[in-house]
Amino acid sequence: MLPVAALVLAGCGSDDADTDTTADETAAETEAAGDDTGDLTIGVSWNNFNEERWAKADEKAMKEVFDAEGVEYISTDAGSSPEQQVADVENLISQGADALIILAQDGTAILPAVEAAAAQGIPVVGYDRLIESPEAFYLTFDNVEVGRMQARAIYEEVPEGNYVFIKGNQADANADFLRGGQEEVLTEAAGCEAVTPDNPDPDCPITNVGESYTDNWAPEVAQTNMEQFLTQNNNEVDAVVASNDGMAGGVVAALEAQGLAGQVPVSGQDGDAAALNRVALGTQTVSVWKNAFALGAAAADIAVQLAQGAEFADISVDVAAIDPAYESSAPAAGPDAAAFTTPGGVEVTSIILNPIPVTQENLNEPIDAGWVETDVVCAGDVDTAAVPACE
Amino acid sequence: MSDVSAAPTAGAATPVPVPPPEPTRRRRSTTGVMRSMELDPRLFGMLVALAIIWVGFNIGSGGTFLTARNLWNLSVQTAPVGIMATGMVLVIVSRNIDLSVGSMLAVLGMAMAILQVEWIPSWLGLDHPLTWVIALGAGVVLGAAIGAFQGAIVAYAAVPAFIVTLGGLLIWRGVAWAMASGRTIAPLDPTFRTIGGGADGTIGGPATWVLAVLACVGVVALLVASRRRRRKYEFALRPLWADVVIGVVGTGAILGAAWVLNSYPKPGTDEAQGLAYPVVIMIAVGLFMTFLANRTRFGRYVFAIGGNPEAAELGGIKTRWTLVKTFMLIGVLVAIAAAVTTGRLNAATSGLGQLNELYVIAAAVIGGTSLSGGIGTIPGALVGALVAQSLQSGMVLMGVDAPLQDIVVGVVLVVAVALDTVYRRRVK
Repeated sequence: MLPVAALVLAGCGSDDADTDTTADETAAETEAAGDDTGDLTIGVSWNNFNEERWAKADEKAMKEVFDAEGVEYISTDAGSSPEQQVADVENLISQGADALIILAQDGTAILPAVEAAAAQGIPVVGYDRLIESPEAFYLTFDNVEVGRMQARAIYEEVPEGNYVFIKGNQADANADFLRGGQEEVLTEAAGCEAVTPDNPDPDCPITNVGESYTDNWAPEVAQTNMEQFLTQNNNEVDAVVASNDGMAGGVVAALEAQGLAGQVPVSGQDGDAAALNRVALGTQTVSVWKNAFALGAAAADIAVQLAQGAEFADISVDVAAIDPAYESSAPAAGPDAAAFTTPGGVEVTSIILNPIPVTQENLNEPIDAGWVETDVVCAGDVDTAAVPACE
Repeated sequence: MSDVSAAPTAGAATPVPVPPPEPTRRRRSTTGVMRSMELDPRLFGMLVALAIIWVGFNIGSGGTFLTARNLWNLSVQTAPVGIMATGMVLVIVSRNIDLSVGSMLAVLGMAMAILQVEWIPSWLGLDHPLTWVIALGAGVVLGAAIGAFQGAIVAYAAVPAFIVTLGGLLIWRGVAWAMASGRTIAPLDPTFRTIGGGADGTIGGPATWVLAVLACVGVVALLVASRRRRRKYEFALRPLWADVVIGVVGTGAILGAAWVLNSYPKPGTDEAQGLAYPVVIMIAVGLFMTFLANRTRFGRYVFAIGGNPEAAELGGIKTRWTLVKTFMLIGVLVAIAAAVTTGRLNAATSGLGQLNELYVIAAAVIGGTSLSGGIGTIPGALVGALVAQSLQSGMVLMGVDAPLQDIVVGVVLVVAVALDTVYRRRVK
């Protein structure tokens, strides 16, 4: 998995040099586009619109951009069926879509539909999930960066001591992307060869005292594993790098049973309401959040540019210009499209947005964006002096 | 765990007509000793296997496995699967199967969580003392209803249980997701959380000793009552030495378990943890289910149906209604297990209990329940659950990673059933 991570890095970094020159031009382009979009239609194919997130965040942000640009929005819902989604895309094309945004149920099964669209000159944005085709523009969040942010937040609290790593499902490539990002930050910050269980470096200030995959990312499995790690180390665990919020919940429950909750930093990701509440309560240190509003807005912006005839390589998105609240999601590599090599070896054009590490200091970000309600995040005995968002 | 050690005596207390012991004294072989003690050799074999696993892991983990703390953890971790496995025994004995328990656990856990986090506080206010009772009660009723629904389709519409509950596995998982659009429901009511153990969820040291002593009195009373009854009905008596050995080993095991659980103090204090609530619940469920299986008409009917469905029906047993009741019973037990799991995690998620159906069936089968029906014991299933959980927890302690853990549990399942089948053929 590490070579892929490196490629992600290379992909993100390669265009750094000419970021400055093109940024201004693009801003001007977007301005001009805003004035005259004609009567464009953008079609969005959702894989399963039942999931709460898509309507609440992604679609809402897309519609805002489309409304501002005077673009017509049409959509379909495949209900988790890859076959249905292929038919959906054909349907959107016959309804006269000038560009498509596809949240793929299956990044390979969708290929015939993407090729059909390309044959008719209709550009495609692969939304959130990878479509293994150079014909689809890839827009997503940086998953390796999520792992780095988790490790960074924990390392800030505990620069030396006993670490436990609660990884995701072993069959899911994301589990290793995340662990790769964590490893990268910790080895560099602590100056060690590795923080794997069999670390050959005796001087490493970070000791890996437990590391385990978690079947299906299941919180109850993470809890049992954490109990075993605490038992094995006689509670001498100083920090836990957990890869998502559900598992962090299991870890915190295990720590709570030992009276250690709040003393041992724990990481997570997803911005789950329950996890953000734990952040407010101080039992979880960080939840890395992917701002779905920013992703939706960026996708809409890209789709409009493509519908107006822009080439993939010319695409540039300034998310902060769409809404200043999206600034922290702006791509680390700059606003321009860059090349990205997929795990399947296909070279695609991509923009990769930045996730946001949410801690007590910036808990207001997901609240302000409308991702969660304040009373849910601030439920319970929150120390309002430490958590400005809950005042 | 004490019910497990008490189990052989409880089972053996059933008066069984056996031929009187031969007057000529022969040299006692191992099987002879076991026969005169009327031990269930399969349960005995399983306990030996468990002992080997424990000692093996203790060596492999550098002495961590057999610490009071780990055994305490193990007792709590075993509880949900153990509770469900006791119900699975009766379902399998009646020649059916329930593949939906993992998904049902998610639905029931979700229902109880939503009830106590979102609904009850708006009626009664936050932290009302009755919150946990209402939530648990609603979960149990809903569990019985789901079980009755699936059981009715199996019994009255004659759709194979495999299909009905395979459908249930998919349906209830989907329902659990739809109930909260995949959100995690947390945090739960503080009292409800104690059902799952945790820092406040134990009965403490003194109560554990009291329970242990009561259990010892119970074992001795059962032995005495059994001797008296056999004498009265002129059945063959077990030799006195055998009763004494069973009594000493049984009470010793109970007191030993109590001593182990009491030597793990609450974190940061000298106070003993004692039995955790989920373990108390598991023991109570185990005793109740053993009674139900061995001493009630319902239990006899279930075994009769599993042994020969046609004969049972011709004999006047309401086989269909009895089957519905077995499914209702497992529904109730899943609700209790769901309360333990969600209480322990302090959250409900739609992914809760994934693969639990397989662990529950594995526990029952490792514990000697025959998939062809008619044979199975509750104590066996509890030991089976303990074996399966010991393997998993032990491997985590030894740093074995998840894929290898699955392989080992799978191999043990197949080997356990293979050995059992070979044993049964030889006995025949």
